Amino acid sequence: MRDTSNLSKEENNILQIIKTVIDPEVAVNIVDLGLIYNVTLYEENKHIHILMTLSARGCPVGDTIMQHVEVAVKSFWTDYEVEVELTWEPQWNPEMITDEGKAALG
Amino acid sequence: MSAAGLSTKNAPSPMVVLPHYALGTIAFIIASVLLFFAAGDLTASHIGPRVLSIVHILILGWVSMIIFGALYQLIPVVMEIKLYSEGLAYASLVTLAIGTIMMAWGFWESYIAPTVIKHIGGTFLILSMLFFVYNVLMSAKKTTNKTIENKFIVTSAFWLLATVLFGIFILFNVSYGWTNKSSIDLLKVHALMGIVGWFMLLIIGVASTLMPMFFIAHQLNKKYLERSYILVNVGLVAGILLLYFFPNTSWASIFGLPILIGMGMFFKYNLSAYKKRLRKKLDIGMKLSVLAFIVFVASIILGISTLIVSDIYPEFNSRVYLAFGASLLFGFFTILILGQMYKTLPFIVWLQKYQDKVGKFTIPLPSDLYSEKIADAHYYTVIPAIFTLILGLLISQEIVIQIAAIFFVITSLLYAYNTFMIILHKENATPLKKPEFKK
Repeated sequence: MRDTSNLSKEENNILQIIKTVIDPEVAVNIVDLGLIYNVTLYEENKHIHILMTLSARGCPVGDTIMQHVEVAVKSFWTDYEVEVELTWEPQWNPEMITDEGKAALG
Repeated sequence: MSAAGLSTKNAPSPMVVLPHYALGTIAFIIASVLLFFAAGDLTASHIGPRVLSIVHILILGWVSMIIFGALYQLIPVVMEIKLYSEGLAYASLVTLAIGTIMMAWGFWESYIAPTVIKHIGGTFLILSMLFFVYNVLMSAKKTTNKTIENKFIVTSAFWLLATVLFGIFILFNVSYGWTNKSSIDLLKVHALMGIVGWFMLLIIGVASTLMPMFFIAHQLNKKYLERSYILVNVGLVAGILLLYFFPNTSWASIFGLPILIGMGMFFKYNLSAYKKRLRKKLDIGMKLSVLAFIVFVASIILGISTLIVSDIYPEFNSRVYLAFGASLLFGFFTILILGQMYKTLPFIVWLQKYQDKVGKFTIPLPSDLYSEKIADAHYYTVIPAIFTLILGLLISQEIVIQIAAIFFVITSLLYAYNTFMIILHKENATPLKKPEFKK
């Protein structure tokens, strides 16, 4: 997610927490890898929706990463229901990696 | 969490996969030790009894064993389905282990004479391969993911079946005389099916899936793989027919040309993945894999040499064949396995131990499960090992082959240290301290 300008302050906070989730294969956080497509917080029904992808279909650690996102966010927004949705549209591509992510990849 | 078709959910029990890595590693150590003691035989002929014994330990006990285990784990990744049967996977593991020991023993003792031990061992192997092939094909039937990489894997399973059936045909032919063709000539057909049809096709399929994934390389031209598929298979069929019906004619080796061009296409595909990679810094697993591909270039050159020397310098035939075979078995296949072990085994164990702990505990990364220093060390021992072996076989010097064998023994022991360190990894998780964070 290169453009975070449309996120609220709270949604940005959620994104910062998701940054603690590391892809165990490349040891880079998944936000900088560009795997997070959107974060939406619905205050009225206490719901957080995270839309994300994976760098390859059939990624062997895919659901562990998703579970990690859910647990990490849930541990701070304890009153909220956290939904992590996987999408393949649009397909992930290297353009989505942030400059920090590219630097971390070496 | 909504995550349809994810691989972790499809992954088989680690108890199916891990014994393959353990047994395969032991076979690699045994083959390396035997290489030392068979060095003299390797200067004599490329089909001597001890040579055949080592070849079977390497092909069945090491490469096939690891491939079976890795495939049981990777089929869900590549095909996005669940493995058809874990019971069959266990059955293929046990029969492969027993069959390999009996065959290797049989060959070490008594060449290709028909012995009971080889007949029983062969029967175990047939069963093992049948279990494996049936499992792969039934799994593949469920997938909707019909990529060229999958086509390579499925086709290799058919060639594996053909290889085993033909091997058994050779053994029984000695007793029953179904055809008057010599076992030596039939063995060439058997070796061609096994090395190119089974291993090469499988490795093209698996490596072309994994290498771009680990390199993080996108937008690759799959036409190279499609052409490679056609060329290697056409060469194989032509080779089998030519070697069977015209075994001792020099022009018969012409079938090697499309196969080598097909191997070159596969190399080019992976080279472009390497060039387009986003991960510039390679970890030890990928460094070893890249090394395997460098040795693969040597294999292609030696492969071309086998086509040339048979006409010009027939007296060097045996040496070049041995060097070519060693560059594939001890070289490309072995080094690729060394590298890909680090890309698969730590994850399998890591997922087993820590899957439910992410986000709640401080946990190690998969790369923390083994010693990087040991891995680096066997990276530097396998290089002199393989190149000294190729040299020793080409100049036919026992002492040089023995030096190579010592390097291989060291490599295999270091590799075994890391493999077992991963398999025997004890859980190490401490409750996570929440960072200060203002909402």
